[in-house]
Amino acid sequence: MSHKLTFALLIVTLFMAACGPAQTPAPTSVATQPPATEQPTAALQPTAAPITLTDGLGRTVTLTGPAQRVVSLAASNTEILFAVGAGAQVVGRDEASSYPEAVSSIPTVGGWSGFSSESIVALQPDLVLAGGINPPELVASLEQLGLTVYLLPNPVTLEEMYTNLETVGALTGHEADAAALVESLKGRVAAVDARIATVNTKPSVYYELDATDPVKPYTAGPGTFVDLLIQRAGGTNIGAQLQSQWAQISLEQLVVSNPDMIILGDSAYGETPEKVAARPGWETLSAVKEGKVYPFDDNLVSRPGPRLVDGLEALAKLLHPEVYK
Amino acid sequence: MYTGTQVDMFCIYLCTCVLVYLCTCLLVYLFTCVLVYLCTCLLVYLFTCVRSPVYSFPMRPYLFTLLFLLLTVILSIAIGSVFIPPADLWRILTGWLSAAPLPESLKTFAFIIASIRLPRTALVLLTGAALGGSGAAYQGLFRNPLADPYLIGVASGAGLGAAVAMSIQWPYTFWGLLAVPLTGFLAAMLTVLLVYSLARVGKTVPTTNLILAGVAFSAFATSLTSFLMLRSTGELRRAFAFLLGGFTQAGWNPVLTILPFLAIGLGFLVLSGHALNLLQFGDEQAQQLGLPVTRTKTLILVAASLATAAAVSFSGIIGFIGLIVPHVMRLWWGADYRRLLPLSILGGAGALLLADVFSRVVMAPQELPVGIVTALVGAPFFLWVLRRAKNQGYW
Repeated sequence: MSHKLTFALLIVTLFMAACGPAQTPAPTSVATQPPATEQPTAALQPTAAPITLTDGLGRTVTLTGPAQRVVSLAASNTEILFAVGAGAQVVGRDEASSYPEAVSSIPTVGGWSGFSSESIVALQPDLVLAGGINPPELVASLEQLGLTVYLLPNPVTLEEMYTNLETVGALTGHEADAAALVESLKGRVAAVDARIATVNTKPSVYYELDATDPVKPYTAGPGTFVDLLIQRAGGTNIGAQLQSQWAQISLEQLVVSNPDMIILGDSAYGETPEKVAARPGWETLSAVKEGKVYPFDDNLVSRPGPRLVDGLEALAKLLHPEVYK
Repeated sequence: MYTGTQVDMFCIYLCTCVLVYLCTCLLVYLFTCVLVYLCTCLLVYLFTCVRSPVYSFPMRPYLFTLLFLLLTVILSIAIGSVFIPPADLWRILTGWLSAAPLPESLKTFAFIIASIRLPRTALVLLTGAALGGSGAAYQGLFRNPLADPYLIGVASGAGLGAAVAMSIQWPYTFWGLLAVPLTGFLAAMLTVLLVYSLARVGKTVPTTNLILAGVAFSAFATSLTSFLMLRSTGELRRAFAFLLGGFTQAGWNPVLTILPFLAIGLGFLVLSGHALNLLQFGDEQAQQLGLPVTRTKTLILVAASLATAAAVSFSGIIGFIGLIVPHVMRLWWGADYRRLLPLSILGGAGALLLADVFSRVVMAPQELPVGIVTALVGAPFFLWVLRRAKNQGYW
């Protein structure tokens, strides 16, 4: 009896696999859903040609014309939208969007713990700009509600970030502004490169993301913009040897690496050079002894938008003040 | 003209199609077998032990609980992060009933109600019903006031499955999107199966063994989940959202997907009231009273786990509802499982709806994970009920 039951259970689980989803219509049949709202913006751009682009999830997204009412679901997206001159078209944002200051007057539609799809629908956007941090379930839900969702892929290089700027420019009808922005950013990066090319030291940097437990703080690992920008600014990131991107480093490892410089990306959470010096065991680090502990605006290097170049310049100035005299 | 890779891709595509077709055939066949088997079991079960004595209960508890449920459904439709004036809400609802075209100004509100709030209300209602019903069944089955639907590993199994599915970057396709709920469901059912077979002694399944095996396996699976989450880079937030409970997928698809499982599971539980009453005397005495104890226990376990696992797969792990709703119902309306089970199902649905309304408005437009609200609001309420009932003989 019990063996039969075990077998039956196994089969039940198997049949769930087959039949659970089969009873639902495919979510791709968006056409059956009622349209979200009338799109009043289409009338604003009667001559505009449709825009078709492939997004970060491999979806083909088509807009009837440049988006006029955009909801941004990531802080980096909001920064990009404002940087390419589409700030006036942003009608909704996520809770974390904090730059530029003008965003504070834009209504929020949710944040880290979840987005309210009805708030998004009520804003009647013609484009929802999601980011790599938004889960695919959210994109699917919004798509099902008849909204046009474009997920901007998470860039890992500056070139990919430029591409994102151009994409957002194309989606919002600001191609020229985006192209000009990319040119100026490239120029600024080249200027940093030129200065860094003249230096002959390569300070090692410990970039702190979180030190709630000062014995096991978190630093930026390989493949992050922090890592990339520290290298580009003429330094070495001691976190580069670690495994994950948001990597825990032990105090022992830190003492062995003995970085030339400590950059406090967690200064926004109240960490100061004084607090670092007071942490037990940290006084042995030469960076602490020499006072080379600097607070830093983490948003410049953690949000994959145009301000990464600001971050690069700030890091270059910190790492190589000699070439910025 | 095909290039080499295109031909390769085409072959892979063809093979996949054939494979999928064969698998589907096999599964349809197995599904039919299982259905027949389950129906037979159900019939045997019905005719052997559920012929409960004729009884009549006052309707008051049902009316009261239904009224509560109705009230929470109305609240859930009326309240959200977007404020819809009650007058507009009334006009929309009456407009639908009379099939009259809605004025342009109400279109967005109507869309929000029809496409966001109604499906969500339905999903929350079903999830709450599943948790309340299975909670009552588990408490009766284990004769343990601490039992909840997650006692023997449904939650930890589902959490582990979901974390594994999230650690793989699925493509944005129908199946890719379904990967997390599906894996969560399968892992939950496999965990129950594993715990059950580990706890078995000969032909019996001692309750203590089940609880201990369940707790031990849960600890193992939970640790593994935490390990996976710590290793992952970007998916931590998603996994957290699942473990804290919440309703991330909108639309009717999740509702339609879990509905059959809940119908089977909860339908079965509602019929097991008398058997659960007998089980309260202890296994031996129930056996002497003519109840096929092991089979009954197994079937109730499967039915409750099925309902819970289906609910968890789309809603994440929502704690506390399955624990306190049956207790509150028992404190208010007595411990007869023939009545306790349906009341717990209705009450669970109402309680979770209420918690979900809270979770939507507390930090609007952000949504609080509903699992936080259930314990935060539910625990004090339960303590109040318990305090008031302290003089009654309870449990």
